Amino acid sequence: MKTIKVRTLLKAGTWCAAVSLILAACGNGETETGDNTTTDGESDTQGQVELEFWSFWGSGPRRDTIEEIIEEFNDTHDTITVEYVYQPWGDIWTKALAAIAGGNAPDVIVQDINSVRQRADANQATNLQSFIDEEDISDSFYPQLWETVIFEDEAYAVPFNTDTQVLFYNIDAFEEAGLDPDSPPQTWEELEEVARTLDQGSENDWEQIGFYPRWNIGPDVWALNADGGTSWFDEEGNVTIHTPEKVDALEWLLDWQDYYGRETVTQYEAEFGSGVADPFISGLVAMRGQNINYYTNLRENAPEDFRFNVAPLPEREEGSGNWSWGGGFVLEIPENTSHPEESYEFIRHLTSTEVQEQFGMNSFDIMANVEANENLAEHAELDETGHMIYEMAHQNLEQTVITPVPLHAPDYHSLINTQIDAAFLGEKTAEEALEDAQNSVENLVEQNQ
Amino acid sequence: MKAAEDQSQFKKAVQEARQFKKKKWTPSQKKEALWGLLFVSPFIIGFFGFMFLPMLFSFVGSFTNYNITSRMDFIGLTNFRRMFTQDELFTTSLYNTAYYVAFNVPLTAIGSVFLAVLLNRKIRGIRVFRTIFYLPAVLSGVAVYVLWMQLLSPSSGLINTILSWVGISGPSWLFDPQWTKPALILMRLWSVGGAMLLYLATLQNVPKQLYESAEVDGAGFSRQFFHITLPMITPIIFYDVVTSTIGAFQIFQEAYVMTEGGTGGPANSLLFYNLHMWNQAFVAYNMGYAMAMSMILFIIVLSLTFVNLKLAPRWVHY
Repeated sequence: MKTIKVRTLLKAGTWCAAVSLILAACGNGETETGDNTTTDGESDTQGQVELEFWSFWGSGPRRDTIEEIIEEFNDTHDTITVEYVYQPWGDIWTKALAAIAGGNAPDVIVQDINSVRQRADANQATNLQSFIDEEDISDSFYPQLWETVIFEDEAYAVPFNTDTQVLFYNIDAFEEAGLDPDSPPQTWEELEEVARTLDQGSENDWEQIGFYPRWNIGPDVWALNADGGTSWFDEEGNVTIHTPEKVDALEWLLDWQDYYGRETVTQYEAEFGSGVADPFISGLVAMRGQNINYYTNLRENAPEDFRFNVAPLPEREEGSGNWSWGGGFVLEIPENTSHPEESYEFIRHLTSTEVQEQFGMNSFDIMANVEANENLAEHAELDETGHMIYEMAHQNLEQTVITPVPLHAPDYHSLINTQIDAAFLGEKTAEEALEDAQNSVENLVEQNQ
Repeated sequence: MKAAEDQSQFKKAVQEARQFKKKKWTPSQKKEALWGLLFVSPFIIGFFGFMFLPMLFSFVGSFTNYNITSRMDFIGLTNFRRMFTQDELFTTSLYNTAYYVAFNVPLTAIGSVFLAVLLNRKIRGIRVFRTIFYLPAVLSGVAVYVLWMQLLSPSSGLINTILSWVGISGPSWLFDPQWTKPALILMRLWSVGGAMLLYLATLQNVPKQLYESAEVDGAGFSRQFFHITLPMITPIIFYDVVTSTIGAFQIFQEAYVMTEGGTGGPANSLLFYNLHMWNQAFVAYNMGYAMAMSMILFIIVLSLTFVNLKLAPRWVHY
């Protein structure tokens, strides 16, 4: 009798556990509705409007500055009160999506610059064109940034900040190797020569590595650098992965890997630390391609006497252009919020030259507002290096490409990356890899059309 | 002959059921049933609200181009057709997940039985050992994965350092697509403590007399293990295998954290089913497609569980 009972119980238990686990798996997507505990801006009798502003700036100078800016805004605006809500980087956009779908989104949110069109297309962001028609602010921003917020000729966001990739190099290392620190490499060929001169050591035991192009710069950036600033998609949205220039770029990257050896590269890469263990600060790497905002890291962690300079990314050959890549963030008003006008006023404030300057000065972010960067490049409160960074960023933005996600291929990255990885693993030639990637992505575009 | 017997049994059962239906309930029975329902209502409400309805919604959504915020048009079987004929990453992610399940489930089962047998001895300080081996099951989440990323570091990580002591030059683990999944499977072994506890409790319930008489008959440790211990704990092994198979199909967090935001790792070798589904839902806003994917996963897991239950009588001894 007892055995039967145990048997039935166990069987039932197994079934129950199995079914509930399966159900839980399928329910996940639906139950994850985020924390919708906050109420949307309520207006009270005096016409007081409360706005909720979400960003992922949780600590450090960005948080301090944004809080300062909001406090000043609240002090100077009698009818609007902005409440700052920090959402962790990993959660903010999924949470926002759930909040928008649930109808209780925040009033203003910091969003990724590359996916504005996707959100506009999916009715997740408020159309701001009527505000822009009243006062055209588009000229205040770098044109390629403004381009990202336009969907079907109307604006759905306002650019906030950006970034651009440049070459950082160690002045002491240049001098030690007998190179002129005032003339950084201009072309890929020169870059190779300079790197070889800076190399110290040999196989597996490098004391100093002159340069390795894939450290902090993706193959996609070298590809667009080679291809006259055309990324994986051209302006009309055609897939432009398999082009002679890009094949060239990938072959060039593969040569670098062959030179140092795949194992060596992986090993060094895995050891890269942050802070003082950063390979550029520790002197292991003499030149490094990076977002220009990497400067904040150097400011924080490099010793006082650490001397470095920045230069544009070298061009493939003379005249092909020092094309670089950047990203950034925009300010958006989610769809169906109650106070778009007040929200836009807040956005307008955050993107005004003065406030942009204030944000940049403390965070060393490259701002979307052109004038703000120009002012920062000669701001009395910044030192010479600070001026140099903003000067360089401002110049470099002329040749910086932003690569918004195409509507018909929102998830193309993994398809291209698989092929490029295959090339680096020696499974495919550069030509084969890019040809296959071209076909894969064309197929994806077809699926989504 | 047998068919006739079956038929009569079936008829009897149907009759009984009809009678049960017709039977009038006394007021006290009704009251009891009501109270019973009241007590299970939190589960019933929770189940319907948070599981059944979302599932139903997923099912309906899988035939649409739902994108969460603006559209939900019926598109028939397009999502499913796309999955099996066009989406290259669907195949990759299914393969990666199947690979993981195929190794993870047996390895963790063997690992935890082995550990449980070791920890079922009466030696000094056994409680301390049990605690130590159980501890990793308590720790989980991102911190553990980050710790493992350091352990798995190619040249200075602890694992490769130890391998180098015995003359093996370890692989690049998370950087080499050949080794990323083995690395993850190895990592998951560290939390066998949870299942171990289950086995340990069962082991202690195996009647001592069985071992005593086996010993009298001259059976050694391995014969005792294979002929007494193992058969006696098969119900728990069965339970463990079923639940961990389901759990293994749901692998997500590890890959999401260890590939920096769900990119899928080198050559997409860590792009698991749920990761691909998540990317479709929240990166590409193809929620309808993601729902269709979840339905396929549901069918796969359901049929595997069904097969497991069907096969169970052959090797599970209750």
